[in-house]
Amino acid sequence: MSSLDELTALISSYQQAFTEALAAADGTPASARQAAIDALKVAWTGRKSGKIADLMAHLPSLPPADRKAFGQQVNALKTAVETALADREARLAASRRPADAVDITLPGRAPAIGHRHPLSLVREEVQTIFTRLGYQVLEGPEIEDDYHNFEALNMPESHPARDMQDTLYLARAVQAAPVTPWAAAEAPRARGPQPLTLLRTHTSAMQIRYMEQHDPPVRLVAIGPVYRRDNLDLTHTPMFHQCEGLVVGKGITLAHLKGTLLAMAEALFGAGTQVRFRPSFFPYTEPSAEVDVACIRCKGTGCPVCKHTGWLEILGSGMVHPAVFEAVGYDPSEVTGFAFGMGIERVAMLKWDVGDIRLFYENDLRFLEQFSV
Amino acid sequence: MKVLYSWLRDFVDVTDGPAEIGRRLSLRGLALEGIEPAPAGEEPPGRTPIDGDAVLDFDVTANRPDCMSVVGIAREIATVYRLPLRLPAPDAPGHLRTGALTPVDQATFRVTLEAPALCPRYVGAAATVAVGPSPGWMQRRLTALGVRPISNIVDITNYVLLELGQPMHAFDHTRLAGNAIVVRAARPGETLTTLDGKSRALTPSMLVIADAANAAAIGGVMGGLESEVRPDTTRIVFESAWFAPGSVRATSKALGLRSEASMRFERGLDQTGAGRGMARACALVEFLGAGSVDGTMVDAVARPFSPRVVPLTHAHVEGLLGMPVPVPEVERILDALGFTATADAARASWQVRVPGWRPDIARPEDLIEEVGRHHGFEHLPATFPPVFQAPPPSDPRIARDAAARRGMLALGFSEAISFAFIDAAAAAPFSAGEPPIALANPLSETFAVMRPSVLAGVIDAVSHNRRHGRRDVRLFEIATAFAARGERRSLAAAWTGAAAGDHWSGGRRDVDFFDVKGVVEHVGTALGVPLAFTLVEPDYLVAGRAAAVVAGTRQVGVCGLLAPALADARGIPRADDVYVLELDLDAITATAPPGATRVVPLPRFPAVVRDVSLLVDDTLSGATVRDTIQRAAPATLVSLREFDRYQGRGVPAGKVSVSLRLTFRADDRTLTDDEVGAAMTAVLAATRSALGAEQR
Ligand SMILES: [Zn+2]
Repeated sequence: MSSLDELTALISSYQQAFTEALAAADGTPASARQAAIDALKVAWTGRKSGKIADLMAHLPSLPPADRKAFGQQVNALKTAVETALADREARLAASRRPADAVDITLPGRAPAIGHRHPLSLVREEVQTIFTRLGYQVLEGPEIEDDYHNFEALNMPESHPARDMQDTLYLARAVQAAPVTPWAAAEAPRARGPQPLTLLRTHTSAMQIRYMEQHDPPVRLVAIGPVYRRDNLDLTHTPMFHQCEGLVVGKGITLAHLKGTLLAMAEALFGAGTQVRFRPSFFPYTEPSAEVDVACIRCKGTGCPVCKHTGWLEILGSGMVHPAVFEAVGYDPSEVTGFAFGMGIERVAMLKWDVGDIRLFYENDLRFLEQFSV
Repeated sequence: MKVLYSWLRDFVDVTDGPAEIGRRLSLRGLALEGIEPAPAGEEPPGRTPIDGDAVLDFDVTANRPDCMSVVGIAREIATVYRLPLRLPAPDAPGHLRTGALTPVDQATFRVTLEAPALCPRYVGAAATVAVGPSPGWMQRRLTALGVRPISNIVDITNYVLLELGQPMHAFDHTRLAGNAIVVRAARPGETLTTLDGKSRALTPSMLVIADAANAAAIGGVMGGLESEVRPDTTRIVFESAWFAPGSVRATSKALGLRSEASMRFERGLDQTGAGRGMARACALVEFLGAGSVDGTMVDAVARPFSPRVVPLTHAHVEGLLGMPVPVPEVERILDALGFTATADAARASWQVRVPGWRPDIARPEDLIEEVGRHHGFEHLPATFPPVFQAPPPSDPRIARDAAARRGMLALGFSEAISFAFIDAAAAAPFSAGEPPIALANPLSETFAVMRPSVLAGVIDAVSHNRRHGRRDVRLFEIATAFAARGERRSLAAAWTGAAAGDHWSGGRRDVDFFDVKGVVEHVGTALGVPLAFTLVEPDYLVAGRAAAVVAGTRQVGVCGLLAPALADARGIPRADDVYVLELDLDAITATAPPGATRVVPLPRFPAVVRDVSLLVDDTLSGATVRDTIQRAAPATLVSLREFDRYQGRGVPAGKVSVSLRLTFRADDRTLTDDEVGAAMTAVLAATRSALGAEQR
């Protein structure tokens, strides 16, 4: 006679043996796994020679009172074995690839989609910001006359401020009407066509053209290329892009300019971006201010980008000079206005950490492809 | 403008160090460019050396000639720190004293003003001197600000220039022929050898200081070598004058000669400063023991200076700035800067007398800037301008260009931006016989002319990418092209390398004419303008691989294969096929049909499709075959397109088999087989009789 205790110990040892055999089968290569599972099936659940059947053969040797308990233990083991093997078979079946399966790790077929130029992205972002603020967005002629680029902006001939912007002149004046699709049908204050002699040094020339054609109020931004005789280096190119803003109406103040530029800075560089006004000088604004934003890298604590000042200069601005209003036939005692001019390249360099402005003009696809489509 | 910290402290008892002063002035309108430690050395008698003395370098804006001096910057510091300003004066002790000179009509020399518009005031004073080195403290101050010490007399003129901003000159009295100083226009052909040893050819637009015979100095620019103070000079005449800014600027520019004096005169100096400068220079001669002054001065005035009076109201101050500035603060700032503000009874407005050293102040707005910057822009609230009306429409070019840009991006072209000026050789192929717009003063030959075509820059961008190992390039640019008749907005693009299938699975194909033609058609769709093609063969495209693009009846662009010689000239390998296109966007939109797109209702009845293959002469154009079919078919033919062209086995030489798909549909009924059959019979008859086509 066997005792129930002895047989219980035997069942435990079988349980242990199955766990090991199953682990061994799991370790075989995928191609040999089905055979291993089949072998386990025969060895354990075979009706005649399987190990479960072997265990059952001990039943008669037990006292009748213990037989039920023993039978339950063997059955539990049998269920566990069958469940484990069925699970392994199901997993193997699921992992088997159809004959026409693709290798999903191979490269996909890239659709041909072009990339935006970063200057174009900034330009559009600025347009969107100011469109949202109720501005009209305009473009203007790139070849200008001396009057619109300088004289009407309170920079008469021999004004020392003309040295602030080294001008590129045409070898021969051009007699062509500037393209201004936004021109008013009636423009009583517009001057007759003048010989075009220079490449505009700033988009401010647009202010004059627009105000000659339209009565106040004015609320516009003008964006486009401008030209100065600057040698190429890390931060200068002889052509760059400017965004000019102009608001004219009754009671426009310097504080309005600050609110507007703060809104723009937050939209461009993130909520909470601080701006700082520093008094400066431009012939066409009075008062004038250079505007800094809190360094977008260090948030104002000081780093190499901001030369440890915590601030980055981004634009020049001010209240439109009364002489400019007089030049375009506005009454400076009736209206005031603010104007600002910002370099698009400067913003792009700050936004994307571009260290060399010349990269914008090389059109290297390795550079362009880093920007969104 | 460089200033020495210890020198500033002659005039204002500021206790902050150089760095803090620089930081605070930067927020008040004088941007600090840099700080350098100053070399140690002697201080003027009675003053103790300062630890950490430094040279502050300020960027002085063009409107502030007064800040081109130590005293001018000290005045700003005094205003910022609310401290009193101490100026050189006749009763000041030690080295801060100025002289008291008796005005006379004529001294040991005479002064004649012959060009009063260019020089309305000229002050001269004579002294007997012993020329030698100046004392160490003066040499240290000059050296610290970048001025080389020369001799006591010359150093005094430079010292006064730096301290007060008044340029001075010293002549050797004995070399002034006829004891005369004549301020006049230069004579035709007159020359003068200036202090730097160079002979200068003068023109009558230039102002000279002459003796009875010859020019001795160029007014406000530089003295002459002949009359300069030498080691053996014993008698001198000091000059302290006011020269008109425009004239000095023009002369300095024409001669290519800039000096510390010309830099100040051309910004506009203080007409009342000439006397102060002279009094200061004469006092220094005696303080230094360099000689004894005669004690008189000839103050020649052709046009007396009358100070400006500018009205200002408190409401205007607050109204323009958009922030409150209390009345006492307005008055404090104006007073500290040297203005004399006389208030009305209610203190709501002022009559503000402008000191001579502020020629930049002419209008109330100029005064408001002074008040605003010294009250502090940091106090400005951030408010919003009221909206008066809905904004008028934006420039129509912006949305139009954006549509073209989206079209190009969707076709895999990346966006380029190039310089608008290019070299003359790059422009030549696109100039069409008309010379491009050239620059008078280009930065270099690379940037000599304005691009007549935007293609030029795109081709160079392709070249750049090819040189950096990129075989497949698609680039476009939307920018301005320039010609004497005006500016136009152009879309240019270049495509080289793979057109499709650059993938491990194969199917790679290089770009050909029909790819670039498809791009043009797509742009037309994007802009809502149907574009057609006609033959054209500009020199820069390969004959037989080029087409003109037409909108309506107007040529609006070209597309085709770039001439290999041109590609080669721009550094692109000759073997590369570079297909290009350029479209005049302004011309295209000028032909755009007015009105918005309207949706055509979807057809209610089914279409019938018939394919037909025709054998035709291979010289016959696709357009001719399509036109013949179109004319012969009834109105129910709604679409016709080639889907195959075949030459080879089974097709006789000189022939091509063209397969076309014809789609018939009626709006009001389902077409019957008989109707379509009749249409096909008519089509085949027409192609046979008109084109000699046989059905295959
Ligand atoms: Zn930083």
